Amino acid sequence: MSMVSATTDFPRPAATTRAPRAARNPWKAAVVIYAAAFYCFLYGPIAIIALLSFNKSEVTGLPFLGATTHWYHVVFSRPDLMAALFNSISLGLLSGAMATTIAFLLGLAFRRGFFGQRVVLGLVLLPILMPGIIGGIVLLIFFGYLGIRPGLYSTVLVAHVNWVLPFVFLTLNARLQGLDRAMEEAAADLGARTHQVMWRVVLPIIRPALIATLLFSFSLSFDEFIRTLFVIGYDRTIPVVFWIAIVERLSPELPAMAVITVLISTAGSLLGFAFSARSRIKNS
Amino acid sequence: MISRTQPGRLRTRLVTSGPGWLLAAPAVLWLLVFSVIPIGLMAAMSFWKSTIFGTHPDFVFDNYKRVFSSSLYIGQLLRTLRIAISTTIISLVVSFPIALLLARLKGPWKSTFVLLLFVPFWSSYVVRTFVWLPILGRNGVINDALIALGVIDQPLDILLYNQGAVLLGLVYVFTLFMTLPIYVTLDKLDPALLEAANDLGARPLQTLLRVIVPLSLPGVMSGSVMVFLLSVGAYVTPQLLGGSSSLMFGNIIASQFLSDNNWAFGSALAVTMMVVVMAVLSVLGRFVGLQQGLSGSSG
Repeated sequence: MSMVSATTDFPRPAATTRAPRAARNPWKAAVVIYAAAFYCFLYGPIAIIALLSFNKSEVTGLPFLGATTHWYHVVFSRPDLMAALFNSISLGLLSGAMATTIAFLLGLAFRRGFFGQRVVLGLVLLPILMPGIIGGIVLLIFFGYLGIRPGLYSTVLVAHVNWVLPFVFLTLNARLQGLDRAMEEAAADLGARTHQVMWRVVLPIIRPALIATLLFSFSLSFDEFIRTLFVIGYDRTIPVVFWIAIVERLSPELPAMAVITVLISTAGSLLGFAFSARSRIKNS
Repeated sequence: MISRTQPGRLRTRLVTSGPGWLLAAPAVLWLLVFSVIPIGLMAAMSFWKSTIFGTHPDFVFDNYKRVFSSSLYIGQLLRTLRIAISTTIISLVVSFPIALLLARLKGPWKSTFVLLLFVPFWSSYVVRTFVWLPILGRNGVINDALIALGVIDQPLDILLYNQGAVLLGLVYVFTLFMTLPIYVTLDKLDPALLEAANDLGARPLQTLLRVIVPLSLPGVMSGSVMVFLLSVGAYVTPQLLGGSSSLMFGNIIASQFLSDNNWAFGSALAVTMMVVVMAVLSVLGRFVGLQQGLSGSSG
């Protein structure tokens, strides 16, 4: 998620390398054991699902009857799943691109300052504060009232842009605020026109941050479920297909499907993480 | 936070020196059409009338009367709040030691474990809720393991479809949103403060309780707000892991739209929930800390 970029964002004082041992030692062993348990709690269930995805058994669960990649073949040969995968990927790219464009322009506006920007900030962050289920319902009511039929590239796209916009804005805005004005001023003093300053100074500097933002928003959109559920109609995204498959019956290819979706969202986010690390190095 | 442009700078042709409102226009327009108006419409619809022929504009309080007149919906709301608060407290207890440990780690270990903390949360919560079904179910991994070990003869039914399973699922899905802001505040903590406490004769427990914990409160607050918000509106987890007696308010709202087709009443339920959530938040009251926790920088 976009918050990833947060973890190492701030400058660390050199003194951190010399943490006072006395304050830590008596707790160290207990905390280390606890940490091991915590990470087992995080990864255990996912590891079990990965194991079950290779189980030859027709029912999801133990005993382990031998290893097979059969369920992965089943997943990849189901046309509805492949269609949902395509839908999710194109929605992720499209909503990411739209949210990034809107947020980038808004970030520039925030740098300049404009009337009513506190209200706008509140509105941008609203989807984080509002329960997701209400975020879905308000759009269902809105489009229903207008008589707009649910569709992937109309109603669902709006729901996804609404959802990723606050995260995209928070990460991009932090980067834009950190951008040194002196560089733009220098370029302008040297005779660069506004669009040249934009394309040849500002954009190259924040390009890694833009790419990182795109990848994170892709991951957020790819995993979005609750808002989508209310406005999707008869189209399907991966989480919705997954949901229907769980609610109807626990079909044996579900663990394989889970592993595939986990791998896709993790890959997107890891790439985003790498790019955001790059943008930090460039900016510092 | 927002740097004001000084008058002298207006002469240089900065990208950012264009009219601010023009750059903000796409965002403002988007938010107005797809956020403000839909929310307003829902608020209005909560006073409308739903009949079998559809939902019609009106101004009646029937829907709210129905919400508040029976103990059914109030009871559901109170239980939902209790589950959300329990999830928040459990997440806090589970997360704090990890955040403290991560903040104290150094070098490559630190970045490795912080990254490892994130990876599971990059995946869909639908998937991460689903994983518990083959584990806790009647023919699930835990029952099979216990039977194989000879601890029990018959599979246990009490592992799934109850409030405990819902709490487990919610903590599993949302705990990062607690761990992260606490970690961020503890990581910023000046080590000199701890040294000072140590030099002044504070024992480790005293340092923890009287220096570290008070200074971590901004992170604890924004983490609590996040986890509370996420779990109070939960739909997926109670639907999959809870039984009929542990459904939450989100499930009841959703059923008005997905099956009962009573949009006016559903809107009233949703508005009630939003008002209650906002009331709880204003008690917890720290929107500022929330933004910091999310962006991880004072940007």
